[in-house]
Amino acid sequence: MHYQQSISPFDRHFFTGKEKFTAIGRGSLGGKAHGLALMKDILESRLAASYRPDIDITTPTLTVITTEFFDLFMKQNNLYDVAFSGLRDDLIATAFQKAELPAQLVGDLRALIAQVHTPLAIRSSSMLEDAMFEPFASVYSTKMIPNNELDTDSRFRKLVEAVKFVYASTFLRDAKNYIQATKHKMIDEKMAVIIQEIVGVRHGQRFYPHISGVARSYNFYPLGHTKPADGVIDLALGLGKMIVDDGVAWSYSPAYPQANPPYNTLAELLAQSQNEFWAVNMGPPPEFNPLKETEYMAKFSLEDAEKDEILRFIASTYRAQDDKIVYGISEKGPRIIDFAPILKFDLIPLNKMLKELLKICEDTLERMVEVEFALTLDEHRGAPARFGFLQVRPMVVSETKVDLSLAELSGEKVLVASDSALGNGVLENIRDIVYAKPEKFSIHHSEAIASELEHLNCQLVASSSPYLLVGFGRWGTSDPQAGIPVNFGQICGAKVIVESALPEMSSMLSQGSHFFHNITSFKVFYFSVSSWDKYKIDWDWLNKQEVVQETEFVRHVRVLSPLKIKVDGRTSRGVIYHE
Amino acid sequence: MNKESFNSFVLAQFQFDRTADWLGLDLPTRELLRVPMREYQFLIPLRLDDGSVKIFRGFRVVHNDARGAGKGGIRFHPHQTIDTIRALAMWMTWKCALMDLPLGGSSGGVACDPHYLSLREQEHLCRGWVRQLARDLGPQVDVPAPELMTSAQHMLWMLDEYEALRGEKTPGFITGKPVGMGGSLGRVEAAGFGLVFSLREALKEIKMKPDGTTASVQGFGNVAQHAVRLFEQVGGKVTCVSCWDQKDATPYAYKKESGIELEALAGITDRFGGIDKESARKMGYEVLPGEAWLAQDVDILIPAAVENQITDKNVQTIRPRVRIIAEGASGPTTFEADRVIAERGILVIPDILANAGGVTCSYFEQVQSNMNYYWEKDEVLGKLDVKMTSAFNAVLEFAKKKKLSMREAAFSIAVARVAQACKDRGWV
Repeated sequence: MHYQQSISPFDRHFFTGKEKFTAIGRGSLGGKAHGLALMKDILESRLAASYRPDIDITTPTLTVITTEFFDLFMKQNNLYDVAFSGLRDDLIATAFQKAELPAQLVGDLRALIAQVHTPLAIRSSSMLEDAMFEPFASVYSTKMIPNNELDTDSRFRKLVEAVKFVYASTFLRDAKNYIQATKHKMIDEKMAVIIQEIVGVRHGQRFYPHISGVARSYNFYPLGHTKPADGVIDLALGLGKMIVDDGVAWSYSPAYPQANPPYNTLAELLAQSQNEFWAVNMGPPPEFNPLKETEYMAKFSLEDAEKDEILRFIASTYRAQDDKIVYGISEKGPRIIDFAPILKFDLIPLNKMLKELLKICEDTLERMVEVEFALTLDEHRGAPARFGFLQVRPMVVSETKVDLSLAELSGEKVLVASDSALGNGVLENIRDIVYAKPEKFSIHHSEAIASELEHLNCQLVASSSPYLLVGFGRWGTSDPQAGIPVNFGQICGAKVIVESALPEMSSMLSQGSHFFHNITSFKVFYFSVSSWDKYKIDWDWLNKQEVVQETEFVRHVRVLSPLKIKVDGRTSRGVIYHE
Repeated sequence: MNKESFNSFVLAQFQFDRTADWLGLDLPTRELLRVPMREYQFLIPLRLDDGSVKIFRGFRVVHNDARGAGKGGIRFHPHQTIDTIRALAMWMTWKCALMDLPLGGSSGGVACDPHYLSLREQEHLCRGWVRQLARDLGPQVDVPAPELMTSAQHMLWMLDEYEALRGEKTPGFITGKPVGMGGSLGRVEAAGFGLVFSLREALKEIKMKPDGTTASVQGFGNVAQHAVRLFEQVGGKVTCVSCWDQKDATPYAYKKESGIELEALAGITDRFGGIDKESARKMGYEVLPGEAWLAQDVDILIPAAVENQITDKNVQTIRPRVRIIAEGASGPTTFEADRVIAERGILVIPDILANAGGVTCSYFEQVQSNMNYYWEKDEVLGKLDVKMTSAFNAVLEFAKKKKLSMREAAFSIAVARVAQACKDRGWV
């Protein structure tokens, strides 16, 4: 997709220009920006007017550095050799930092930064995302910069560093593995970069949106009365990193916005709910590290948000003496970020609007969608709100009909069965199994396990061997105490993933939404086996198989006959048979 | 081209007089600005490699330093005259003022032909030039830079001589030094890139997309080569370049309808910008007489060699298709030719604007040298682009508002600024 006629060229006026969506250069906008371009007029014509003045719906001001400059940057600095070398990620990223941006780009960046003093998000928008049916969530980097230094030179330098960082992220190890798993070629990949205002409000040393969210029009984990087609919405306080990477959010069905998530006890709900949030750090400059995605981001506690007087619009209070949740924050006690004033008392018609938004996006993309957004609330009354539309991407939902009866989940040949499996379809080509050795497993070693898995994944991806991955705790969590903290690139060759829950864990699955999006988009089958489930993993059989490779915590075995794997998406039943 | 009768200083004074009339400057201000404030002419005895001694004539002219220390190039050229230097110094004053740099204008050089001087001889010529002028040069007084047939190496020799005489390190004494020896990243590209930044804005003004536009360039030295490089990157195509052939003592134009190959052509070019004719022929270039560059059927003409190239004698050869002339050289167009070009509605980016990238980056280099802290190239070129674009738009806006040509507008802005500085200082 090349430069769109409908996208105006950047005229060196970021906030003050006539157009709020502009492009620099003649190349492609990349997938993310293309999605935003597709939706910008539709949102205005079909949605925005009906929600004014309660919610002001916009695509935050942005300009896209098209892929033309990526090509020039790579060529002029002879970076392809470095990019395709086996160098460590930090060395590749450093080489990119040392390189020079094309001469005809830097003037536009300089002019932009000279007039903008508010935080900016420097976001990836790659060509392969452009396919619109590819996953690519969280593969490449986004860098938030506070952009509040007084002198233009400092702000310019930070912007340039961030653009180069996003360029470098195209060639970091996870991204390379990831692309290999998609059967694309690295050489096909090109990166556009979005420079976008961050939707948020400054409260002292922090700048953050009051609400971030991910809305999906299809729910792979419908619970209780909800149906998959009802969709699911995750909300969090602060930047969306909390949802997409940390996997912590208030998750609810748009069909039942007033229902709490199905936790066993309120204390458990409290324990699982958000207790810190991400914000752009507007305070003293942190340690200089242009190679770190979160260089200018910091986590803050709910007490900080309460001081910022934001919690009254989004929180309730847990009253321990009678084990109740009391709406609002007038009482003392632990706060629960449950968005009750909005979801239960309609402070703003957010849920109604999101349902409509999902429908519009589905109509436009002609498939299930996932939408990312951020909101700020009026600081005095909560309403009106400003809604920033940040991203839309398609979801891959299999339509294959697979019948799997309850009886089929048991028997001698069953390696794993689950009645909360994710995915849909049949697989009969997997002979390789990689698993965390149960006898050696300890949650304290989860980071070492992640590292060993990455190594094995590289080999299996290189030999085009799809594999079954079995481990303990949550996959894709950023918390090493909750499971194995891999990102999807580190295990991207796995076609089936089995999560054997830790005994102390809730049954709720809670991956970061990007990890989750990748699982579904790559059509990876995901089995969840709880310690209290009637279905168990047949560890004895597994331990008898021919060992191909063994590391301290991980074993790779290969079976003679391929496994047969079936998942029925309608009933969430799944089973893996061995010969 | 009637080179014998052409006098750059007459052209520069004519431009000033017209501007002064338009601005309504008073007599003392005119008298102050119409001629240089200081001039130095001196002799440099040089012992040649064969043991003989030859006397060279050196020059330095400070036209005006009301807005700041003098700034201007040093050229080595056999046809150097004091009037050429005076004109260049005056144009430098206007150029610095137009770009709003806190600098005055100066120029200098040596009447010599470096083609026939060994490196040792050139080094001693550089050192001799500095010895004659050391008391009247310096970071706060007058700052030289490379120009025609002088390079970063010449600047370094001059700096070394100056520092030896002064007994201290003063990298801000001179600009255009090698990177790593007090030079600025981006300095080499600055003049050519700056020209294309202006050209890009001019194309926007005439609502022409850079993609597919064609250009013919006079000269193939540093300015021209970098202008061609960036012009191609923004989507344009250069079909003809011309340059001086030292062996035949005549210029030639090298044409390729499908577009010249910059890197390959640069590979057969000497350090003075002379293309090897026979190699070019073998590479499929049509070799034409030097003036053919002007008569090409292209959208853009870029004179980037020396002064007095588009005259009343050849201006009629410019094809109807030409929409823009971007003057990379100083004073390439005579005022008679300028009138014809204006009548034809061709947009001219005047020299003091189009080729101001070099002095702008020289200023950046001086700032860095004085701080002894050097910027990344992104930062240098980013600042350069913003400066060039702002200046172009200011000139364009003024031209439209006052119904002037781009040249008249550029001179008016610049002269008014210098005149005001002289008034503010109480000189006039």
